Amino acid sequence: MFRKYAALGGCLTLVLLLSALLPATVLGAGSSVAAPAETHKITVSVWQAAAIAFGYYLANSPWLLGLAFFTLYRPLVAGFFVGLILGDPAQGTLIGAAINIPYLGFISAGGNLPADAALAGWVGTTIALVNGFDPAKAVTIAFGLGLVGTIIFYSRMALDSVFAHWADARAEKADIRGVAFMNVVPGQLFLLVASFVPVFLFALNGSAYVQDVLDRLPLWTVSGLVIAGGVLPAIGIALNMRFIFRGSAIPYFFIGFILMTATHGALSLVVIAAIGLCLAYLHLNFVRPAVAAPALTTEPAPAATPAAATPATPAAPKQAIRLTRGDLVKSWALWTFFAHANYSYERLQGTGFAHAMTPIIKRLYTTEDEIRAALKRHLVFFNTENNFGNVVHGTVIAMEEQRANGAAIDDDAINSVKSGLMGPMAGIGDTLSQSTITPILLALGIGIAGGTASGTAVPTFAGATGNPLGAIIYMVLISIVIVAIGYTAWMQGYHRGRSFVTEILKSGTIDRVLIGAGVLGNMVLGALAATYVVVNLAPTVTIAGAQMNLQAAVIDPLFPGALALGLVVLTWWLLKRRVSPLALLTAYLVISIIAAYPFFGPGQQNAGDYSYQACTSSLLHQYSPCGAPPVVTPQP
Amino acid sequence: MSLRLVRIDDRLIHGQVVAGWLRVLGAQRIVIVDDPTSRDEFLREVLTLAAPQGVPVEVYDTASGAVRLIELAAAPEPVMVLTRSPRTILGLRRAGVPIEVVDVGGIGGGPGRSRLHKTISVSPDELRELHEIEQLGTRVVIQIVADDRPIPLAQLDSGN
Repeated sequence: MFRKYAALGGCLTLVLLLSALLPATVLGAGSSVAAPAETHKITVSVWQAAAIAFGYYLANSPWLLGLAFFTLYRPLVAGFFVGLILGDPAQGTLIGAAINIPYLGFISAGGNLPADAALAGWVGTTIALVNGFDPAKAVTIAFGLGLVGTIIFYSRMALDSVFAHWADARAEKADIRGVAFMNVVPGQLFLLVASFVPVFLFALNGSAYVQDVLDRLPLWTVSGLVIAGGVLPAIGIALNMRFIFRGSAIPYFFIGFILMTATHGALSLVVIAAIGLCLAYLHLNFVRPAVAAPALTTEPAPAATPAAATPATPAAPKQAIRLTRGDLVKSWALWTFFAHANYSYERLQGTGFAHAMTPIIKRLYTTEDEIRAALKRHLVFFNTENNFGNVVHGTVIAMEEQRANGAAIDDDAINSVKSGLMGPMAGIGDTLSQSTITPILLALGIGIAGGTASGTAVPTFAGATGNPLGAIIYMVLISIVIVAIGYTAWMQGYHRGRSFVTEILKSGTIDRVLIGAGVLGNMVLGALAATYVVVNLAPTVTIAGAQMNLQAAVIDPLFPGALALGLVVLTWWLLKRRVSPLALLTAYLVISIIAAYPFFGPGQQNAGDYSYQACTSSLLHQYSPCGAPPVVTPQP
Repeated sequence: MSLRLVRIDDRLIHGQVVAGWLRVLGAQRIVIVDDPTSRDEFLREVLTLAAPQGVPVEVYDTASGAVRLIELAAAPEPVMVLTRSPRTILGLRRAGVPIEVVDVGGIGGGPGRSRLHKTISVSPDELRELHEIEQLGTRVVIQIVADDRPIPLAQLDSGN
């Protein structure tokens, strides 16, 4: 449904652009000419723009051991690098962290991309840094960019199908290098152009344009964008909660939230994570066994004799041709790098699989007919999660080896293992890497990034200084975990084949990891919600003759952060009731902007006006709840 | 109607299904109907183990799957049904399984197949079978992930 996303993104952009044409007074705004004094401004040189554009290309490319999707693609990391390029890595990381939160529940599976998080990160951070925006404003603008960005991904998916046919033609000629070439070069050339050019142009000139548009908007709508920046994170957090906010792990979310609010954000996310790890251990050993016992007995279908007829340990025919460890590693490396180099609608990772098999085919087969058949056999539709799913490749390689040595393994046998295993392994792999490990480590990184140098989180964006360590720690941790899973799965798949698959599934190791991660994840996510979801009621109530802010005087003393917590849980509940995330996003954006309208007074007089008068004039306000009214109280 | 989702997806259980649909639908049981898979002991075992804990998976051939699904359709427990091809659905439908909507969620491309929508490709036979399913009174929609809007088959292919 990329049309839907693109259309919505386009509309949002268009509305922003068109509103720039309206004179501010038509919209009933105060004067907006009084220059918004938001910190310093940066100008972008041609080289800096090129570096940012190339960074965005790299984020979508296979060149970094296939890890770009887990690192450069994420706004947290993108923010750090854009900051580095533009000379302010701390602020860049802070902005990237904020932009990343709505994408915490981001999953791209089976050729489906909900939004282009990388574009949001690379371009969003650029705009925010150049214009000196505070992170909350960047969140909203970046989210619109993310929706538009899917056009690049989907045009690439379509064109890559053509390149897959070119690879077919090379396979027909038994041209091993040709197949490898077609998996990488044409698709990457297109991607380089399609991603570099628009981002380069935008990075060079776009920021001033966005600023110009915002300058023409009435002040209250801009303040609405900032309010939305505190509200939209609820959607990202709730999307992620769909995966881990379940069953006996639910209380840990609230523990994380309350730990953060009760200490007024004085705890570092690392401390919260450490507490989470301890609780995960206790949960696994003392809470869960009682719950898990009945689930294990509900295994239907007569249990197979485990690992009886595994082709990985056959009554070996004489091994004439053996694969070397080097072949295996080379094949693994090719896959790890280039699995998604030519990701297409028609075959998904099909050409990537064939490319990865090239060292194996080279070693095992000599005649042109054998090579042609093997290339064609592996150029078909294929898709799995490319880390844990590597057991499929290992198993298939073992089968190919036996086949080359005369075992009676036909195409059907190999195809049925590939097509039968790729789905279930992707199911487990995606659950592990995309919906558990990545968001938890991201949440941790974001929490660290949005804090002070000592790692202490700051409850609102205002005044926070970013900590680049958040991005760096995330990058290192996720890379180690992902490569370790992928390499182990590949080698175990080869050496132990099907028995490895059934053994690891039966051992319950994966379940334990998921449940433990669920506890930790809920803690970190709860803490993150306390830090990044910001709802500030503006209206005042009269208590005992004195005017008081409703939130500051009534709600927060009872339960600090109750409104933010309520919003997150409500969002989670709505998503569970199948309200679409996009509908929620639109609704929250509209509500935020409407709630910023100065219903109860003249509103802000200029961009720097944070007076009590301005603060209490709307339904929601940008920063911390409006404090006490100015000293002169209307007491007679 | 407790058959929450009846889906054609040649990868059966995978990321979109486990991380997406299963959570969204709250299905408590997965029934897989596919003749070749039901004969493969190893795949049967992998599929039963690949679903999240607490969600039992049952694998059947078309004939016994139909019997089981008629039974499950009458029970309140929410069930997710996965098949690999339109032909299986046709078989289930003809055997009297009450299916209101069939979701085409993923069928890979290859020689002799043409792209219907994004990651969904069909052979001429499969396309004909999809239209036959519609003629039996079951709506056919294309919806890859739960957050997508379902697209009626007629919108992508008129059937002529």
